[in-house]
Amino acid sequence: MNIRDLLSVNSIELKGKAATKTEAIEQMVQLMAKRGNIKDVKEYERGVFAREKEGTTGIGEGIAIPHCKSAAVSAPGLAAMILPEGVEYDSLDGQPVKLIFLIAAPDTRANIHLDVLSRLSVLLMDESFTENLKKARTPEEFLQVIDEAEAACAPKEKKIGTLGRIVAVTGCPTGIAHTYMAAEALEKAGSRLGIQIRVETRGSGGVKNVLTEDEIATADGVIIASDTKVPMDRFEGKRLIDCNVAEGISKPEKLIGKIMDGSAEIYHGEKPKTQRSYTHLMSGVSHMLPFVIGGGILTALAFLIDTLMGYSAIGGGAFGSCTPVSAFLKYVGGLSMGLMVPVLSGYIAYSIADRPGLAVGFLGGLLASNGNARFADYDWGDLGGFQKFVADFAFGSPSGGTTVSGFLGGILVGFLAGFIVLGLKKLCAKLPDSLEGIKPTLIYPVVGMFLVALLMCFVFNPLIGLINTGLSAMLTALAGAGLITLLGAILGAMMAIDMGGPINKAAYVFGTGMLATASELMAAGADASDPTVQACYIAMASIMVGGMVPPVGIAIACQFFPKKFTVAERGSRISNLIMGCSFITEGAIPFAASDPAHVIPATMVGAGIAGGLSAFFGCTLMAPHGGIFVFATVGNPLLYIISWLAGSAVTAVMLGFFKKDAVREE
Amino acid sequence: MKEFRHVITDPDGIHARPAGLLVKEAAKYPCSVIMEKDGKAVDAKRIFGVMSLAAKQGQEVIIRCEGEQEEEAAASLERFMKENL
Repeated sequence: MNIRDLLSVNSIELKGKAATKTEAIEQMVQLMAKRGNIKDVKEYERGVFAREKEGTTGIGEGIAIPHCKSAAVSAPGLAAMILPEGVEYDSLDGQPVKLIFLIAAPDTRANIHLDVLSRLSVLLMDESFTENLKKARTPEEFLQVIDEAEAACAPKEKKIGTLGRIVAVTGCPTGIAHTYMAAEALEKAGSRLGIQIRVETRGSGGVKNVLTEDEIATADGVIIASDTKVPMDRFEGKRLIDCNVAEGISKPEKLIGKIMDGSAEIYHGEKPKTQRSYTHLMSGVSHMLPFVIGGGILTALAFLIDTLMGYSAIGGGAFGSCTPVSAFLKYVGGLSMGLMVPVLSGYIAYSIADRPGLAVGFLGGLLASNGNARFADYDWGDLGGFQKFVADFAFGSPSGGTTVSGFLGGILVGFLAGFIVLGLKKLCAKLPDSLEGIKPTLIYPVVGMFLVALLMCFVFNPLIGLINTGLSAMLTALAGAGLITLLGAILGAMMAIDMGGPINKAAYVFGTGMLATASELMAAGADASDPTVQACYIAMASIMVGGMVPPVGIAIACQFFPKKFTVAERGSRISNLIMGCSFITEGAIPFAASDPAHVIPATMVGAGIAGGLSAFFGCTLMAPHGGIFVFATVGNPLLYIISWLAGSAVTAVMLGFFKKDAVREE
Repeated sequence: MKEFRHVITDPDGIHARPAGLLVKEAAKYPCSVIMEKDGKAVDAKRIFGVMSLAAKQGQEVIIRCEGEQEEEAAASLERFMKENL
């Protein structure tokens, strides 16, 4: 707000004359009325006089600033009068008043008149300003004096706001070019913006221009543009931005702006650490995404081809592989999706421990997605001692050997692998330099893989096997008790929690088991309409609808709540829709992996509702997969679709409510 | 030097009327009186200085008195601030 803008030529009187204070104020109010911002002049005048009664506004040095905040005012405004002969105004210092400013402010909570008063005071502090005002011969000249005074003030204020000092650290693990490019970009942007920037570089050639304590202490903030670890303790309590080196090269102005406008957060040791773990997670998720989409769509194409060829009703378990072309697509799609979890774990570990982490993470992810199955069927013959313990504990239990921990296990093992390699790096730091070469080529991969495999095969996979076994027992008990709707709801929800992990697998295996039971019952002479047989098909229907909800729910949420998702996430909504329609729940995994705490509850509840509704309506399904391509074989297809859409809508709405806004990444 | 801090409680902040009274009070003492808000310091004996700070409710100002009778000045100004602002 400028004082100049509040005045107008016709609200300025240069040759005012008043015998009394009352007369002077009445004239001021009339002047103000000419500006056209007073709705009720009488009411406003009463307000000004009422204010004057509380204490004189003749504040000294020959100046009076009467003012009033009133509902009679429509917009803030100023009127000014010079009284060459002065008027007795009952001033604080007893002097006659020669210059009067009247302030009009609307009756808002913002107390605009205080701001106007303050700005006016800044100008009036300078005595030459008042002298120049009194010398003005026309209202235009009067305004010009104010213009010049404000212009003289403004740049000074601006300088205080933007001139500053920033310290920065750039670094890159793989080479030196990025480190120096970022340093140069920051320095150049700084000199453009009038900010002094000191950059410490941490290239592979070592650390240069180390920041001194003094430099850090006097800086307005810290920019870390680095892909390597930077010692952070020294920045405690400073405004800090932690980003990767690419951002330092591409948007230095933005980073500097964030420090200078105070929007960067103050570093307190803890916070960036959690942000770091998010960075690791996102590294895994972003690399996984193409595998999910590519593999998912190819698999969906396989289903489409089989539907066109008329296998949807008779394909059964082989649906999707009934023709050579569809079988090819399903095989390739399946392989691509099989890489999903290893890539997720691998790139989480890579983000934590750099290149040596990648291989260890891949192996861990492969063990999470394949389980210990490879050894399960091998007949070792009679064993004793330690050998027997290993065989029984890791591979012996019926489900222990075949259980996969899915993407949740993949996330876990990714972090595990990363920290194992970090630990190895620390341990190896003391080794003589002559062994430097064999660290990444021998020690990290061999020891790292061995450790991660040990933990997966002997700790996590058996533990997850227990979960799986327990859940299967619960489902069988529910089916035995005849609680079909509840069973449907639980089956649906289970499909959408870990999407390929032990919970999902327990539900799906239970469903295919039910299909087998149904065919056994019918082989034994039961009719297809027998309630026991129907119950088996109802369970399978709930499972499939539960698995179809998450990707579709997310696709709907992307459409209606775009703020909650990143650009890349929103871009995958069409593929998610296709995958949802094809019962490829994995489409939801990148979303669930990047924000499990908000996404999984939403998909779980939505899928549970869909599964429960489907069972309640008595929808049946005789095929173990296929999505919309086998809807023709579903009993009560219309109600089935309604259950599916209802569940998806619930998921979408829950995402809209609970998910936080995505970080903008223009 | 004597200094004290005060958080403004008046819902209107330091507006013209109390600002005038504050200046009057400060002018009674021969010592220098500086008023500071957010790192900006002004002469508390000049009305436009005090008002240019635009101190609002909830904001903190620091008053520094230095010179002859600084003790009395600080004590009386602190009392004044507590009663009026």
